[in-house]
Amino acid sequence: MKVLVAVKQVAALDEDFAIRADGKDVEADFLVRDLNEWDEYSLEEAVKIREATAAAPVEVVAVCAGPEDADEALRKCLAKGADRAVRVWDEAVGGSDAIAIARLIAAVARREKPDLIFAGAQSADHAFAATGIAVAALLEWPHAAVITHLAFTPGAASAVVRRELEGGVLHEMQIDCPAVLTIQLGINTPRYASLRSIKQAAAKPIEVLTPAELGVGPDAVGEDGSLSRVRRMYVPSVKRAQMIEGNVAEQAARLAELIRERTGGAA
Amino acid sequence: MSGILIIAEHRRGELRPVTLELVSAAQAVRRTPQERVAVAVLASDPERFIPGVSVAGVDEIITVKTAAGEFDPDVLEAAVAALIAERRPALVLVPHSIDSFGYAAALAARGGYGFATDVFQLAYDGEVLIATRGGYGQKVNVELDFPGRAVIVLALRASVFKPPEGRASPAVSSFAAPAARSRTRSREFIEAPASDDVDMTSAEFILAIGRGIGEQANVERFRELAAAAGAVLGCSRPIADAGWLPKSRQIGQSGKTASACRLYVAMGISGAIQHLAGMKHVSTIVAVNSDAAASIFSIATYGIVADIFEIADALRGHFAK
Amino acid sequence: MSDAQAVTRVLFEDFAPAAITAFYLIAAAAIAVFGFGVYVGVRKYRRGTAAALEGGLLARFGTMIGTVLSHRTVAYRDRAAGAAHRLIFYGFVLLFIGTSTITLDYDILGPLFGAHFWYGTFYLWFSLVLDVAGVALAAGLLYMMYRRGWLRPPKLDYARPDRQPGDADYDRSGYRREDWAFLWTLLLIVATGYLLEAARLVWLAARPDVWDYRWWSPAGALIALGLRAAGMSAVAGGALRMGLWWFHGLLALVFIALIPFTKVKHILTALGSLMLRDPLAAQRLPKVPAEQPRAGVQYISDFSWKQLLALDACTKCGRCHEACPARAVGAPLSPRDVILSLREFANRTLESAQLPAQAELEVHGKGPGQIAMETLWSCRTCMACVEVCPVAIEHVPVIVQLRRKLVEDGAMDPQLQGTLQTLHKNGNSFGEGRRKRAAWTKALPFAVKDARKEPVDVLWFVGDYASFDPRNQKVSQGLATLLHQAGVDFGILYEGESNAGNDVRRVGEEGLYEVLAAANIKSLSAARFTSIVTTDPHSYNTIRNEYPDFGGSYPIEHYTTLLLRLLQQGRLKIARPLGLRTTFHDPCHLGRFNQGYEAPREILRLLGCELIEMRRCRANSFCCGAGGGRIWMPDPVGADRPAHNRMREAAEIPGLQVYVVSCPKDLTMFEDALKATGNEGRFVVRELIELVREALGHEAAAPVAGIAA
Repeated sequence: MKVLVAVKQVAALDEDFAIRADGKDVEADFLVRDLNEWDEYSLEEAVKIREATAAAPVEVVAVCAGPEDADEALRKCLAKGADRAVRVWDEAVGGSDAIAIARLIAAVARREKPDLIFAGAQSADHAFAATGIAVAALLEWPHAAVITHLAFTPGAASAVVRRELEGGVLHEMQIDCPAVLTIQLGINTPRYASLRSIKQAAAKPIEVLTPAELGVGPDAVGEDGSLSRVRRMYVPSVKRAQMIEGNVAEQAARLAELIRERTGGAA
Repeated sequence: MSGILIIAEHRRGELRPVTLELVSAAQAVRRTPQERVAVAVLASDPERFIPGVSVAGVDEIITVKTAAGEFDPDVLEAAVAALIAERRPALVLVPHSIDSFGYAAALAARGGYGFATDVFQLAYDGEVLIATRGGYGQKVNVELDFPGRAVIVLALRASVFKPPEGRASPAVSSFAAPAARSRTRSREFIEAPASDDVDMTSAEFILAIGRGIGEQANVERFRELAAAAGAVLGCSRPIADAGWLPKSRQIGQSGKTASACRLYVAMGISGAIQHLAGMKHVSTIVAVNSDAAASIFSIATYGIVADIFEIADALRGHFAK
Repeated sequence: MSDAQAVTRVLFEDFAPAAITAFYLIAAAAIAVFGFGVYVGVRKYRRGTAAALEGGLLARFGTMIGTVLSHRTVAYRDRAAGAAHRLIFYGFVLLFIGTSTITLDYDILGPLFGAHFWYGTFYLWFSLVLDVAGVALAAGLLYMMYRRGWLRPPKLDYARPDRQPGDADYDRSGYRREDWAFLWTLLLIVATGYLLEAARLVWLAARPDVWDYRWWSPAGALIALGLRAAGMSAVAGGALRMGLWWFHGLLALVFIALIPFTKVKHILTALGSLMLRDPLAAQRLPKVPAEQPRAGVQYISDFSWKQLLALDACTKCGRCHEACPARAVGAPLSPRDVILSLREFANRTLESAQLPAQAELEVHGKGPGQIAMETLWSCRTCMACVEVCPVAIEHVPVIVQLRRKLVEDGAMDPQLQGTLQTLHKNGNSFGEGRRKRAAWTKALPFAVKDARKEPVDVLWFVGDYASFDPRNQKVSQGLATLLHQAGVDFGILYEGESNAGNDVRRVGEEGLYEVLAAANIKSLSAARFTSIVTTDPHSYNTIRNEYPDFGGSYPIEHYTTLLLRLLQQGRLKIARPLGLRTTFHDPCHLGRFNQGYEAPREILRLLGCELIEMRRCRANSFCCGAGGGRIWMPDPVGADRPAHNRMREAAEIPGLQVYVVSCPKDLTMFEDALKATGNEGRFVVRELIELVREALGHEAAAPVAGIAA
């Protein structure tokens, strides 16, 4: 039994960042990269399935479409319990949107033939919330998004999942397997990967593939393969709150005043 | 390719109000006043939603009878794809919601339509549609266009467009959805357990705490402060996830909406978009945070950059014991 | 004067040959049992891993002999116990030498060479010295009985904070019985020895060679007087002597045989542990060799033979238990009980002929002899335990090595886990971007040199708290102003500095420590400077003592010595002496770890402040509780905290105006504790730098004058 976990190395903005000269992205220097927080949960869910099953061996494979520095995220996955890691990249993949990336992940899935595919419900940087479900469409697989609870026995024909809806209500569904599930935060408690285990995981090989090796043509990736195109990226002029200045005592006094005003002096 | 098609969202027999926000968005973006705005209702009994979507700005209501009682991605995708093939709209609008997370990307990927999610601004520059969304954790704005795509599907952010005022009597038509093999089955809805009697949605004055409070031991002093000031104690997601407060006190996209709130004091909350979704509509928001760059200051009415514990201690003194 | 040769004690006088043979057989058996016990012990140690030892064998032996003969460590902070133990030690040693001397004369030199020396003047002085030794031994033993039975100091009650009543190893009455048995047995041996001596005198009273010299055995002679006065005849004396001889002899032989199996073994293991002492045990933690399969200690056999030997050296004196700040606030940690648990576990598993299956050697857990997670995470790594231990047990490396296993398993508080992840990602524990590290310099009216770009004389390694915590940023700005005013050519590493890693290492995340240390060493090696100064004692400790193991050796001092020099050289001039009543809290990592006690005190003196020492000062300073990563872990709700305990101690000083600290974490912890213990308004907490600024007349420093004296 195999679970394929699609992960992303996301970028966060450093202080005082600058937009690139071509106006389409931030200068690479100001980007701090890390494994997507949602992917920690989907990886943990896959490893839990493996640990819960003594009967048949479950292989957890992590896959990422990203350049060489994405190896760090994959190594973290290996340290946290993934058995193997696959990375897909070549220059043409740059500028891909979620759907173009999904084509690569789907191609890896056709190669790996997993029984379940996990992806994060969204990524911490751009939050398109689309890659996982797009993979399902390309594979013609059943799919469900924003999962906070999964009950699955390897080999079973279906699984029971719960989606976390607006307002905290849960919607329980039964879904045919194999399926693609996008995982929401809080479904489990991701384990800690010590630096030593990450370093030891560096010994495990990461298989690197190009789109061509997966049968994905250049028109299916990058800007050409995307369903949207970035025209420009800019820093919005931020509306700002009216700041209450002064020392702590003064600020607290003004706040107390506001409270009295707004609550009609009930307190 | 012309016309704007809106896919209505409903749950447990109720139309979700975000559907109407899409109507306003369609009004705002359409290139000519003649461009038709149609709302499609896909349900096992679509007729029950007709009164709800009969609002100003809707030119046509398309009822699509489907086999699915509750949310079913396979049925939705097949029906909407067929509808798009028949009607050839230039623009399809869906809400950026948990439901659309579950089907919109699949719809777009299979159909090869232009696609973007969490869009909060859209406009035509001539014949080119420009959609604006956030990037890098909402710290930048990104303008997208969709070259070569005849049909564009956009998922719009909630609470950005105001629902239209005024009723209308749009024409009603029906569309036969193709049969679709459903690979999921809806079972039941489970309410979040209400472990204490508080109802955040009716509270008028909320004091909410976030990650900035540091450790669980500190919850008590804020609970005490809230009680003394006459506020209901709320929190952001990390506090509820850690179990420091019950989930019923969580404000935000997957928590409660502070619907009746008139004064919201946020202490130690940075302003993640999911939290804002539950409170940014409140008329007076005071944000207290030691980080001057916290994004909550961009939606707050008043801001205090200070140590939240010092403010809490000083504030406590202003209320009777 | 009789023939000198006749002035001696005839051994085995009046013994049937069979009896003598029997004695020797019994003695041989006793020695065999003793030898077996030693063999079992050595076999147990050999089941541990290899140990890296510091310094040459001869040097370590010399240090050990010096320590033992002076009894410095036994008398340290407990003069009465030290005095009594000296009596016991010297008494016992002399008596042992005495018996060996007799054996040498009678069993070796005599039969082999026909040479004898134990007679005449030598014999007489010998007798006197040994009589005095016996009295000393008895006096020491009696004091120890009085101490245990009447004084009953809390550290000797063996109550353990890491077990509940009902747990299998909660009850310590076995230890108490053993302690009393040891005292009584030894006392009985001494008492019967004197009685025996007296009985012999009564028996041989008619013999001038014996009777005329009886006062060379004063104790025996006195008792003999009493016996004769009570009417004992020579014959009765002889019978008593024979009986006592066997009783005393057998008791002594049993005692010797049982040495390796009882607490008495400390006479050997303590010497061993003292000989293996690493004076930098807690300051410089052991590296993890890359080939090692597990980062930390999981099984009892993962400990080194040195550590296993040290476990056996513990005499349950309780000084570490008394000194521990975690134990003092009710945390489930007593360093003594960690050592005793591990010892019990080692004895149960490693002393059997066949080594048990590996699964049974797991030391983590809640079973008998195992160590629980909560115990290990309570430690502040303040090294109060290591510093006070009379037999050089090194508790802190034991705890850290056990923590390394917990970290591998991710078995830690979620807040700590988050902090470690933040440290890895951002190089600091605050979750701030790297570029914000030097943001505190922007408020200064002058530019601070970038040591990455230009050479500087003094490279200032600022540290996390001093860079990011708002309260400590003011102190950093203060020091920058002082250095600027004094014309010191200094610079900082800006984003090139990461958390030095001291506490990350003590948490047990060795891999992350290596990453942080490597990053800092890279920055330091690329920079050009004469020496490093730091405001953070934790950074000071690790850069000074541990970075050399990772390829980075730099001269480094804490700011207190630099500031003192500037003041003494007149580069900073005191405008007005402060005249404040102060007390100084020695930071663990500056004071106890690195003996940096004097500079801050001298500075306070130069500032014209009156310094009242707290009872627990200098090497005995009481940790603020933030060490060992505890500042990254939440304290149990409602529990007492070390910083509060310390504040209450300070509050006892009448008229105290300023509680002076020189560590960023101390400043944070104690300012909090000042409020929490209700002392706000009675005195203030200030960093030494702030006092220096005030004395120099800087306005920015918040004046202390005005606080009620």
